[in-house]
Amino acid sequence: MTAPRMDGIRLAVLTARFEGIARKMANTLQRTGRSGILTIARDFSCVILTAKHDLLATAESLPIHVLRGPDIMARTMAENHPVLRRGDAFLHNSPYHGCTHPADHSILIPVIDDSGVHRFTVLAKGHQADAGNSLPTTYMGAAKDVYAEGALIFPAVRIQENYQHVMDIVRMCQLRIRVPEQWWGDYLAILGAARIGEREMLAFGREVGWDVLEAYTGEWFDYSERRMIDTIRAMPAGRVTASATHDPFPGTPPEGVTINVAVDVKPDVAIIEVDLRDNPDAMPNGLNLSEACALSAPMTAIFNSIDHTVPKNAGSFRRITIHLRDGCIAGRPIHPASCSVATTNIADRVANPVQRAMAELGDGYGMAETGAVIPPSTGVISGTHNGVAFVNEVYIGYSGGAAAPTTDAWLTIMHVGNAGMCYEDSIEVDELRHPLLVHSRRLVQDSEGAGRTRGAPGVFAEFSPVGCEMTVAYVSDGNLNGAKGARGGGEGGKSSQFRRHADGELEPVPGCAEVVIGPDQAMVSVSCGGGGYGRPEARDPARVAHDVREGWVSRERAREVYRVAVGADGAVDVAGTAGLRGA
Amino acid sequence: MRLRFAVDTGGTFTDLVVAAPDGSRSMHKVATTPADPIGGVIGSLRAAAAAEGQPFAGYLARGDMLVHGTTHAINAIVTGNTARTAFLTTQGHPDILVFREGGRMEPFNFTVEYPEPYVPKALTFEVPGRIMVDGSERTALDEAAVVAILHRLAEAKVEAVAVCLLWSIVNPAHELAVGALIEQHLPGVPYTLSHRVNPSIREFRRAASTCMDASLKPIMGAYMRNLEGRLRAEGFAGRVLVVTSQGGVMDASHAAEMPVHLINSGPSMAPVAARAYGGTEETLIVGDTGGTTFDVSVVRRGRIPRTRETWLGQRFRSHMTGMPSVDVRSIGAGGGSIAWVDAGGLLHVGPRSAGAVPGPACYGRGGTMPTVTDAALLLGFIDAEFFLGGRMHLDRDAAAGAIEREVASKLGCSLDDAATAILDLATEHMVQAIFDITVNQGIDPTGASFVAGGGAAGLNCVAIARRLGCRQVIVPETGAGLAAAGALLSELSAHFQAMRYALSTAFDRDAINGVLDRLDAQCRDFAAGPGAGAQHSSVDWVAEARYPDQAWEIEVPLRTPRFAAEADVAALTADFHAAHQDVFAVSDPHSAVEAVGWSAEIRCRVASAEPGRLAAVDAGAALKPRRVRFADGWHEAAVHRFETLADGAVIFGPAMVESGFTSIVLDPGTRAVRDNMGSLLIEVSL
Repeated sequence: MTAPRMDGIRLAVLTARFEGIARKMANTLQRTGRSGILTIARDFSCVILTAKHDLLATAESLPIHVLRGPDIMARTMAENHPVLRRGDAFLHNSPYHGCTHPADHSILIPVIDDSGVHRFTVLAKGHQADAGNSLPTTYMGAAKDVYAEGALIFPAVRIQENYQHVMDIVRMCQLRIRVPEQWWGDYLAILGAARIGEREMLAFGREVGWDVLEAYTGEWFDYSERRMIDTIRAMPAGRVTASATHDPFPGTPPEGVTINVAVDVKPDVAIIEVDLRDNPDAMPNGLNLSEACALSAPMTAIFNSIDHTVPKNAGSFRRITIHLRDGCIAGRPIHPASCSVATTNIADRVANPVQRAMAELGDGYGMAETGAVIPPSTGVISGTHNGVAFVNEVYIGYSGGAAAPTTDAWLTIMHVGNAGMCYEDSIEVDELRHPLLVHSRRLVQDSEGAGRTRGAPGVFAEFSPVGCEMTVAYVSDGNLNGAKGARGGGEGGKSSQFRRHADGELEPVPGCAEVVIGPDQAMVSVSCGGGGYGRPEARDPARVAHDVREGWVSRERAREVYRVAVGADGAVDVAGTAGLRGA
Repeated sequence: MRLRFAVDTGGTFTDLVVAAPDGSRSMHKVATTPADPIGGVIGSLRAAAAAEGQPFAGYLARGDMLVHGTTHAINAIVTGNTARTAFLTTQGHPDILVFREGGRMEPFNFTVEYPEPYVPKALTFEVPGRIMVDGSERTALDEAAVVAILHRLAEAKVEAVAVCLLWSIVNPAHELAVGALIEQHLPGVPYTLSHRVNPSIREFRRAASTCMDASLKPIMGAYMRNLEGRLRAEGFAGRVLVVTSQGGVMDASHAAEMPVHLINSGPSMAPVAARAYGGTEETLIVGDTGGTTFDVSVVRRGRIPRTRETWLGQRFRSHMTGMPSVDVRSIGAGGGSIAWVDAGGLLHVGPRSAGAVPGPACYGRGGTMPTVTDAALLLGFIDAEFFLGGRMHLDRDAAAGAIEREVASKLGCSLDDAATAILDLATEHMVQAIFDITVNQGIDPTGASFVAGGGAAGLNCVAIARRLGCRQVIVPETGAGLAAAGALLSELSAHFQAMRYALSTAFDRDAINGVLDRLDAQCRDFAAGPGAGAQHSSVDWVAEARYPDQAWEIEVPLRTPRFAAEADVAALTADFHAAHQDVFAVSDPHSAVEAVGWSAEIRCRVASAEPGRLAAVDAGAALKPRRVRFADGWHEAAVHRFETLADGAVIFGPAMVESGFTSIVLDPGTRAVRDNMGSLLIEVSL
């Protein structure tokens, strides 16, 4: 057939093949990694890009990891290494060249066909348990610059040649990264995932023909763009500005950091624009965004806010314009600004107001705000137990989900850029792997953002080291600024954190800290709830009664906030509710 | 030898396969009766008796064994017909069933509700007391508090109790004490203790299994009593067995006490049958295509892999059983899958299904959306006059109208091309499901055989095998009732497991041998109890092992049942490295290996392992050739009756092979031969 346009059939079949390859990469990574953060929490992503560095397939990756950034990383690889050969693999974690933040070690492998032509690039990215920072944490919120941060930075450095490790690079990592055998195992897993992707792509190209695949990518991008155009054309036009404030941290002004976003939906030209230029310059701490995160955060919010079936790739991305400024905290970072916590804190304060602004455009669009992170219950724990060092990020307790127009929050979202893709730890597995005792993990009643649909309640967690001291490193935003609701929805509960002394006394500790907990003490962590969508008085009374029966919402709050009377039997008091809501 | 029956109750059909004393088989299909599934079981037996021309009671009395596969347990969960169940958990951890394990699919889809916990928080109670990771007691069990909880359960009219406490798998003292208090204070209320039903680490999975088990005890107890009672009343005096999720069988009365084992009772038998037909020498990929779902499983050189990640519906959006079960992946793809075109002009097939009602457009029962079956009819894959052996007539015009309206006109292509596209896309979805369970776990489908089961399998089994690069397709003569055929061959089995950590570089052989001794004793008890009188029994030993700090184990068979010398430890380590390389394409041969779990599975053979042959039936007149559209266009294809093909007969594609149960498409370039087990072996030259 010589039809100029590939038909819908062929498009669907080849799309399934590409997604299948990305999924297979991800499966390999999860099953073979060593550190809990990869294998238990699944904090990694696998994608396929074209030879022109356009994002093609992402499987089920973390949005903040992949929407933008892989394209810049692949371009950096090609620019730094004009001759790419089969057998090459590149280690990349530079936030100045497209990586999210230095903890996300990425392996890029160019897929070279049998005649030596670079056809695609596969990329596997995984958050490391340790990246060689000056302190035992991958979230250096207080680092004044990349030197204080201390991670080794790899701007697309060749780490395999002809399928053999460049041991010089490996040895440098082993001398800098804590628990190096854990890093080595994770490196093998990430490399293995990318190699699996390469192997599959080579077989795919030989079977179908590289020219067919190239034609496919063009058609697939065009299809995706058409879907995006149709979606935007159906949206209400308008420009909405919104802001969100990050709590004061070391290196910020005392009032914290307010991020301003301007969202402009233009159905006439089928474009959505987000302007992030009206924001402070980079700060002397680890909060600054990488370019990847500055681009991906607002795009995550946009895709959260529209028909979820629009494909996410370089084609649909043509209809989104993000305006960034060099040297801005939410823009393109200039070396040596530190981007240590770029995937979470400020990124969340960019994404959240964008999706809330989308909600203000019209009922049915956008979302409320997701809770801020990173509380101690998802921090990095480290120490030495019986002479053996340990370091890892744990996922003991998180929730944070935001209300959507028609559905209550997905409870375990963690934060907006994660989208709930990570796993929560098993208490038993944590206690087996680390000298740790988890006293409690439970939802906090009445901490949900109330609304017609409601946000997730926050999580209380309390844990202690067993037979040693333990450092808990975290960067908990949301102590002062909770997740806002949208369209009249309420704010989610705020975070807080404490040291519990042996006598039971609770001592507040800062929101951004490395806290040493003694064996007779406990770390107490309360994480943020998510915001609500729509007025709580509009919530279905039956759902309110259900929340009361399940203990998520107290009877008093049901009455005061939702204006619903719940009887002693747990059912809706219809007459009482009519009285409350009519008043 | 007397008659043996196997009855598999599916969503649409109830399949019965009967083994006669001479080893020959007969197959029967009746409609499933959802309101009274046991009625369907009895109905299928009546049909068999009628086919033999025998009075029903006399026919049943000739039976000495009936094996039943049922979806009753999973249906009870899906429809919310389980018992009102309470969940007792360790103090401080009331939300284990709420948090689950995190994880989510479709990151940008916020239209799906977060799943409710299997047991509501309102019926969840925190028990004071804490066991530590090493089995020591940090906080004593507060028995008075437990008694107070039990009184509240009585007031709340709870019908079953699930108890899952942290680290009960290391030290069950607290769970046992709670169990004793339940018997004392809530006599007659069924309960389940987690360390008994699923002694494995990860509290959410164990709690999920425990709650499901407790919640199923009343309904499945009643079902099993009802099944046995009605069979007895009709004249059956033999042994009643049920199929388990692990691909074995157990006595119905025993299953009633551990009903969580019945959740995946349905699809676990297809690989057992496939192994009997396909042999144990190579890898078999088993596809079971029904009306709404396509179930895939694998047999690796005779071994049927298991998984602990069994979801009752979509991943993360449904409940996970937490129990080991045969690794079967299901997707919404089958004869009833609906084809549609989205606003951007992209074709989709499924996951929505027209089901049995209204069914495909060609059924003429009110269905207006085109389905895979409609497309197959237009392409000539199905004969409108000979569907299900002529028991049902299909409306070709209705199929054409639906495809023209919903697909062809929207894609701007011909009717033929649209129909081909629908089949192609359905094939691709099935292929991706197969990749999930093969390639993603390091199993190379190239060179494997594809075993095609289920009524709709023949439509695209050659196309699937070609996409996978499989060597051949095997269509067993009982393929349309593959699960029932497998149930006749299965063994009584029990699976015992224990947790005990062991590092290859500091391996305490005495301690591990002690664990294995205890598992061995459990196996021997089983052999002397339910397994008494078996023709043969054997035990498979497995270590669950990983590299240090990995989170997920892989199963490594033990070469010997005890570690007599260091060489046995070295053998386990070497086998682990090889298995890791095999599954994940990487290994770390210089690393130590840690084993965390040990298990023994005893299997007692109570029936022949030979699949037997279908008894000859009068197949009626030969079928006329017809026009069929293959990848390279329309052909005049010969149509053969499966039932009348002689052993050794060879057919070259393009051709069709049809039976009273199914229709098999032989594309051009294929060569099929009927082997001496009655299977059609199709070579799919690429």
